[in-house]
Amino acid sequence: MSTTTSSTTTSGTPRPAGSPARGPGRRRRPAATAVAPWLLVTPFLLVFLISFVLPILMAVGQSFTRVERRGLFGEEGVTSTFAWFENYRLALEDGSFLASIGRMLLFGVVQVPVMIALATVLALLLESAAARWPGFFRAAYFMPYGIPGVLATILWSFLYVPGLSPIVDVVHSVTGVEVDFLGSGTVLWSIANIVTWTYTGYNMLIIIAQLKAIPAELYEAARVDGAGPARIATAIQLPLIRPALMLTTVFSIIGTLQLFAEPQLLAQVAPAIDSQYTPNLSAYTTAFAYNDYTVAAAQAVLIALVAFVLSFSFLRLTNRRS
Amino acid sequence: MTARPRPPVTRRSLLRGGLGLGLGAGAAALAGCTVPGTSSVNTEPTVPPAGPDETVTLTYWAWLKELQAVADVWNAENPRIQVEISWIPGGNDGGYQKLYSALAAGSGPDLAQVEMRSIPEFMLVDGVVDLGRYGIDDYADRFDPTLWGQVSFAGGVYGVPQDSGPTALYHRPDLLEEVGAAPPETWRQWAEIGAEVRDAGRFMGTFPLADTSVFAAHAMQAGAVWLSAEDEGWVIDMAGESTLEVARFFDAAIDDGIVSTQLQPFSPGWFAAAAEGRIATLMSASWGDALLEGVSDAEGKWRVAPLPQWPSGYGSAQLGGSTTAVLANSAHPREAMEFAVWLNSSAAGIDGLIEHSGIGWSANPGHIGAPRQGGSEFFGGQAYNTEIFAPAAEQQNPDWQWWPTTQQTFNVLADAFRGKAGGTSLVDAVVQAEADTMEVFREKGLTIRRAAR
Repeated sequence: MSTTTSSTTTSGTPRPAGSPARGPGRRRRPAATAVAPWLLVTPFLLVFLISFVLPILMAVGQSFTRVERRGLFGEEGVTSTFAWFENYRLALEDGSFLASIGRMLLFGVVQVPVMIALATVLALLLESAAARWPGFFRAAYFMPYGIPGVLATILWSFLYVPGLSPIVDVVHSVTGVEVDFLGSGTVLWSIANIVTWTYTGYNMLIIIAQLKAIPAELYEAARVDGAGPARIATAIQLPLIRPALMLTTVFSIIGTLQLFAEPQLLAQVAPAIDSQYTPNLSAYTTAFAYNDYTVAAAQAVLIALVAFVLSFSFLRLTNRRS
Repeated sequence: MTARPRPPVTRRSLLRGGLGLGLGAGAAALAGCTVPGTSSVNTEPTVPPAGPDETVTLTYWAWLKELQAVADVWNAENPRIQVEISWIPGGNDGGYQKLYSALAAGSGPDLAQVEMRSIPEFMLVDGVVDLGRYGIDDYADRFDPTLWGQVSFAGGVYGVPQDSGPTALYHRPDLLEEVGAAPPETWRQWAEIGAEVRDAGRFMGTFPLADTSVFAAHAMQAGAVWLSAEDEGWVIDMAGESTLEVARFFDAAIDDGIVSTQLQPFSPGWFAAAAEGRIATLMSASWGDALLEGVSDAEGKWRVAPLPQWPSGYGSAQLGGSTTAVLANSAHPREAMEFAVWLNSSAAGIDGLIEHSGIGWSANPGHIGAPRQGGSEFFGGQAYNTEIFAPAAEQQNPDWQWWPTTQQTFNVLADAFRGKAGGTSLVDAVVQAEADTMEVFREKGLTIRRAAR
């Protein structure tokens, strides 16, 4: 990343296409300055290669491998062969896996806009001139992000489980309705609630950072032109925080597809959550409960592809519109 | 606003970099990588025992609590073979995942706690050592023959039985007396009493849709054998008559509102319902006693009775149960086996396991454990272990075997069971799960056929 940015900035001067850069001495630098950056990034590159690039390549390789066993447990021989797209076929034929992706799309279509809208409103309110104790509220809204997802899920599960939940009790005694937060139709939104609770403050903070970067002259000019707070928000703030909104949305789309800890934990109290409830749970179960590493690798590659496609089409869509 | 802030890395450069990297190294990686668990430890020569003046340190990964206290008893007596315990999460809650990834990486402990039902799954990834090659057969007579049968496959022995879970009927006599009933002797009676208990605003029991090991235990008691390993391959009989009978019975029990499908035994919701006196009976294993004591204000209210009977089948069934398995990458399988045999069959080992770790039912029928002899205050003075569970442990289905996709079959069945709320029946689910399990076997290259029926 860092090398790419520096190269784009140094070679940023426009140059006629096709003519090779032969400027006398322009390219020649002392050997030390050429080597130093590489030396400095080597520790990072090494870890990056070993813990990131290599595992990905291995997973891609395994997703094209097929294991055949003979005998009751493979005790009469095990062979690995190149399988082309056989594992991908198996993964895509698995109705539960496809359903998990569909479920996450539904989740994302509802949860991401709600969360981003909420974060934007909170950010605008806290950055408005009339805000009281903005520092305190900023910290308060951000605090859920500091609580690990596992603990957040346990906390919330006590508010969901019938018999323990005061919410269920109060709703029941007031309206007579037995709300079921963990039913097959509702549990997805119970998870969405946990995720929204955790990440709204975090996204809000990113948006606030961008709001703070808006030059004061713009506000002054707007006020001189007679714009009220609402007009300032729609005409100045919202257009200028577009990059932050896009960033948080893309992060949220990727995060949605990677949902894991919340459903994994909530499954203990919600029978409606099965072992393939989200794509990542599905890959995890396939690999480490069913020992089917090759199909799990194919599932993982498919999840990454879907995340890529969704993020890039969102970027393309928003870029085209402007 | 004309200038739009540009992301530091353009999409194009990212794509170009990713593609180049992927194509270049991808081909090399494709050729070089192997899938974990595809080489066999049990065809390699056996590992010789350690020399007389060599000190061996064994590691044992288990989820039993305070197990080191028991291992220390052994360590004091065997200075040459020292055992260190590492705690892992229980079974599929993360322990197996740790074990599988350690095995895949070519490492892992010498010994691991592996549930009886998961032994074949570990065999499939070549994770456990055939102890028959290290002389385990000399100790076979110390262990319960039913449990021994569940760790023996194709002429080998793949784990040392550690504990099991014979089932019985925990019940609240006061709630049954309220409708003028005593503990039922047959499941038909259980359902009849259940209808009256339901009319009194309680549940007779629960039928967990998500934890299908409970359904498997019912089927096991009714005489079903879901899978059996034969010379020419696996034979499946999940949708056999005894299983279907159990499925029909609980279809009716759910439809009639006798059992709750929401309250999974020992879940927070179940504990809350039990504390309110809304649960009359609970089919569970011997290890359920300690969990039951977690119900608030339940002291003296519960008793244990023998399990109700199906028209045919066995007196009891097995719910849960673990082994101590020697893992494939152990450098000292013989010493590891000796410790495992001592731990699970000696009086000192069993008593220590009960006292410190609260294990399930002893795998040695000759010694159920000193702490399990007398009456229990929680169960109103009933000596339920000697009275109920000791006979239950002898009335087991001896033909039951586990298979290499147990967890997957259980999950597939649970997914199908969840459809019960949407109108499908348990019977449909069982038939579906049988077909799916056959498909899973074939995808792994294993031979399987449906039993003649």
